[in-house]
Amino acid sequence: MPDITPRPSEPHVLDQPWRMWSSVAVVGILLSGILLGVLVIPIVQGRSVGIDAYTAICRALGILPGSPAQPQSPTPLPGIPVSQVTWTSDLLQILARADVRRGHAKVQEVCVACHGEKGESIGVEFPHLAGQSGAAIYKQLFDYRTGSRAHPMMTDVAKALDEAAIADVAAYYAGQPQRNPNLVTMAESPPAIVQLVELGDPKRNIAPCSSCHRAGAGGPIETPVLAEQRAEYIVQQLKLYASGKRRNDVYARMRTIAAQLTDEEIRGLAFYYRAGFR
Amino acid sequence: MRNAERLCLAHFWVAFAAFLFACAIGTWQMWVRSPLGANVGTPGQYFMSVTAHGVSMAYVLTTFFIMGFGYFVAVTALNRALPGKLWAWAAYWVALLGVVLTVIPIATGQASVLFTFYPPLTASVWFYIGLVLVVAASWIWCVLMLIAMTQWKRENPGRPVPLAMFATVANAVMWLWTTVGVAVELVFQVIPAAMGLVQTIDVGLARTLFSWTLHAIVYFWLIPAYIAFYTMAPRAAGGRLYSDTMGRLTFILFLIYSLPVGMHHLLMDPEHGNATKFIQVLLTAFVAVPTLLTIFTITASLEIAGRLRGGRGIFGWIASLPWERPMVLATGLSFVMLGFGGFGGIVNMGYGMNAMVHNTSWVTAHFHLIFGGSVVIMYFAIAYAIWPRLTGREYKTLGPLRLQLWLWFIGMMVMTLPWHWLGLQGQWRRVANFNYADPIIAAWGPWVVVSFAGGIILLASAVLFVANLAALHRSPALGIVRPLYALAVHPPLRVPAALNGFALWNVLVLVLMIAAYGYPIAQFLIDPSPGAIVHRVR
Repeated sequence: MPDITPRPSEPHVLDQPWRMWSSVAVVGILLSGILLGVLVIPIVQGRSVGIDAYTAICRALGILPGSPAQPQSPTPLPGIPVSQVTWTSDLLQILARADVRRGHAKVQEVCVACHGEKGESIGVEFPHLAGQSGAAIYKQLFDYRTGSRAHPMMTDVAKALDEAAIADVAAYYAGQPQRNPNLVTMAESPPAIVQLVELGDPKRNIAPCSSCHRAGAGGPIETPVLAEQRAEYIVQQLKLYASGKRRNDVYARMRTIAAQLTDEEIRGLAFYYRAGFR
Repeated sequence: MRNAERLCLAHFWVAFAAFLFACAIGTWQMWVRSPLGANVGTPGQYFMSVTAHGVSMAYVLTTFFIMGFGYFVAVTALNRALPGKLWAWAAYWVALLGVVLTVIPIATGQASVLFTFYPPLTASVWFYIGLVLVVAASWIWCVLMLIAMTQWKRENPGRPVPLAMFATVANAVMWLWTTVGVAVELVFQVIPAAMGLVQTIDVGLARTLFSWTLHAIVYFWLIPAYIAFYTMAPRAAGGRLYSDTMGRLTFILFLIYSLPVGMHHLLMDPEHGNATKFIQVLLTAFVAVPTLLTIFTITASLEIAGRLRGGRGIFGWIASLPWERPMVLATGLSFVMLGFGGFGGIVNMGYGMNAMVHNTSWVTAHFHLIFGGSVVIMYFAIAYAIWPRLTGREYKTLGPLRLQLWLWFIGMMVMTLPWHWLGLQGQWRRVANFNYADPIIAAWGPWVVVSFAGGIILLASAVLFVANLAALHRSPALGIVRPLYALAVHPPLRVPAALNGFALWNVLVLVLMIAAYGYPIAQFLIDPSPGAIVHRVR
């Protein structure tokens, strides 16, 4: 039986070559990767499509946009965005710093006639604004102002407001308490409508309404609160989206969905949301 | 030792409780994704369930198992008391508190963000704070592992650290490097966003930092399986380890090549240039090396065992191996799954093929096969191997253990192979339900049902696993304590410092990380991108 008891080693003799050769191997592999990835491949790829070496290398590193292997297409015609609102952190600061008192004053001066001082509208064609998301109100007023959305009255009203006043008004209405649920309309909605709200209809590519319009759903920031809204207003807006007359929804989300809804579903959804959430 | 056993068991039981729970809800998810359970539950419930499944499997099972196993190795391989036992218990309770803090927001639907940290979607801040506590506790574990090895080396100057402990410390060192990325992402980006301190977040930076963690974390989970391959399987088979040096090299290669490669998870992302992606994919290719070394070494070790047991001919040694022993059986089954999973991994690594499978079920199937299959089956084998020592009792029969391992293997193959196929058909991942009224999707239906059947087999296996372990607590007392760790064919008498510690490798990791992640991260600070609006799940 050979003696296999571990004995103290003499590491210093062994250390030097290990340190050197493992460093050479690891750094060598790395350098060959850098040589290939940063220099050889971009230059060869660039040459084959007529891109100079410097540009190709900068593109490979991500310093210049585009791929080293494809000529950058000539600048296309600038797209016309459906809305001029960009949710930058500056804009979010403007909304966060909005002055509710100034907003109240502006509301009494301008909005009160249709939307009410507390955000409860006076007629079925005007939306309630009490407790509406401030970002949603801001976006719609800004869109009226820039012409992304049009309305015989609202376009002129919004054009008379500056950006700060829009933020103030939005903050004021957002701070108003939502209306109490209307017990009369709290009657159960048909299961098909509830399904549309909660599960959507994948067959028609309709996402569930609740995936954006449920509080805290994590949808786009401008998504409006629909609970306890005027049913007539919801019907009217869904039909405007369906016909393409209203087109300030980013990525045509609502136009795509509304165009696939039947009149009966539009009515059902409007009544569902008028009743508030259960 | 008594206290150390309790410490290990406390960790393992948390791990396996989370595992059983996650298996149950995982099976539910397979059901609602199949035509059999279509339209059961809401998408909200589905994503809540996926979050709970992922967090339980990826963070609770793994972290608690690895910590418990590390303590076990530190005591048994070094044959000395665990240093800082109070710290170890403190880490255990901190990690457990972290789990509780994480579970509450998940259960109340305030953290349905899956188990990856991809803003701008953010969960309740408690979800992140809980997970940070789990990670902080695991850092204490890392330090204890380093201290245990350092003290042993001081007491045994010039002697090679036992392979099991060397590998455990390699994992601890790797984990310290690994968690830096996600820790920076959470502390400086996600937690301030979740708390409402900032309204926008740089998504590209967050994804890059997460990619730093994302690949190496998988090797953190995997290394215990490799420790079992190298140090337990050859002994269980009745042979010796073919090469101790090969083992050390394998764990070192995992340490250096698991870290600067995470960007292969971002191959389809626009925020990085082609050159950076190329360099990281090239380095990714080198991650295959330690696995190939392992397949060779362990196969050679098993061949030695098979021939010692009288096996003859080219393949005769395979038949003569003691397949009735759980560790040997699990190693064989794990290798089969590693073969399929490794092949899938190489597909994911290639830019062109990645583009085709990136957002499909292929990826989900891949990580279930490679982690849930080849790695977790070795977690079972390790638990079966060490449970008699932890409880001081022995199995009446090994039959239920073998049945459980076979069920897990069959279940995993039946679940994941069709799942891969569905991915190739274009079945997308991260969706709550499928519309089986669509004729193309309807054609997927039968395969999804087969996959679900695999899920049921896996659940049965999980229940049997926990029952097997629980039964041992009431079994007769252990007669003979058999040696656990394999000797090498040529036990190392002396090894160079490079194979006995991590100083050199830490320097090389630093060089690789600066080369691979230096500019890709710096670019976000040099030229900040527009932030994305934080979406908080409430």
